[in-house]
Amino acid sequence: MENSLEGSGERKLQCSDVSKCFQLLESILDGNNVPDSQEILKSKLAKCQPCFEHFHLEQAIKEVLRNKCTKHEVPSELVANIRQKIEEIK
Amino acid sequence: MSEVQRKKYTEQEKNKIFDGEFMPHIDSMYNFGYRLTFDEDDAKDLVQDTYLKAYRFINSFEQGTNAKAWLFRILKNSFINDYRKKSKQPSKVDYQEVETYYNSDDVDYSMTSDLRVDSVKDMLGDEISNALNSLAVDFRTVIILCDLEGFTYEEMAKILDIPIGTVRSRLHRARNLLKEKLRSYAQNMGYNTDEEG
Ligand SMILES: [Zn+2]
Repeated sequence: MENSLEGSGERKLQCSDVSKCFQLLESILDGNNVPDSQEILKSKLAKCQPCFEHFHLEQAIKEVLRNKCTKHEVPSELVANIRQKIEEIK
Repeated sequence: MSEVQRKKYTEQEKNKIFDGEFMPHIDSMYNFGYRLTFDEDDAKDLVQDTYLKAYRFINSFEQGTNAKAWLFRILKNSFINDYRKKSKQPSKVDYQEVETYYNSDDVDYSMTSDLRVDSVKDMLGDEISNALNSLAVDFRTVIILCDLEGFTYEEMAKILDIPIGTVRSRLHRARNLLKEKLRSYAQNMGYNTDEEG
């Protein structure tokens, strides 16, 4: 996602309820079904600096994890072995 | 695996489910197995066992439902019940022990990290991977399920047989630990992270 809200001039520097906000932001980021998630996200990121920073950090970590930790090549014989064993128990 | 025995699939239907719904997840399954065991052969055994069980219990899988979550749950159970028992390297922390130890779904969200987005983006694959691998298996697992595989909290709760609140709190703790690791790597890379002391 683009970091479209540059500049922190308009944002408050203290979050009024850090646990509730961060939990909600993480739920949205993690793809859970949160009602009105886009509106919530937009308004929190626009109005609150700690929320803004937390969201973008979590998002960046999530992205590098996905890009760099999922590229294990499956050993070529594994699929063949599984199919052979299945034939045996059929 | 559900105790409810659904209608029996024909041989043809079984093959269709197995090839169409189970096999496409083999990459994710192997990655999960490898990140749990850190060993190629153990990961292969775990994945093979999982697919054999999946085939054997295929009648308890409802076609069209979330096959990936169903397979992950089998693999996770195989890891705990079979692999863990004969494992050469017993894990330091046990699955339920972690929860008893922390014993609460209350998580401190106020802990902020001075880790920078830029330094995270510049991390090498090895550093990210090592940071993830350094976490205790329960914490590693929730990060794998959530961040690598994209499961929702509800799906994770089913895969791990724990309440959603526990998924949430365990994930948050795992992320804090991971950030600590990444922060120390960032410091070694010479990034300014406002290190104290
Ligand atoms: Zn806030």
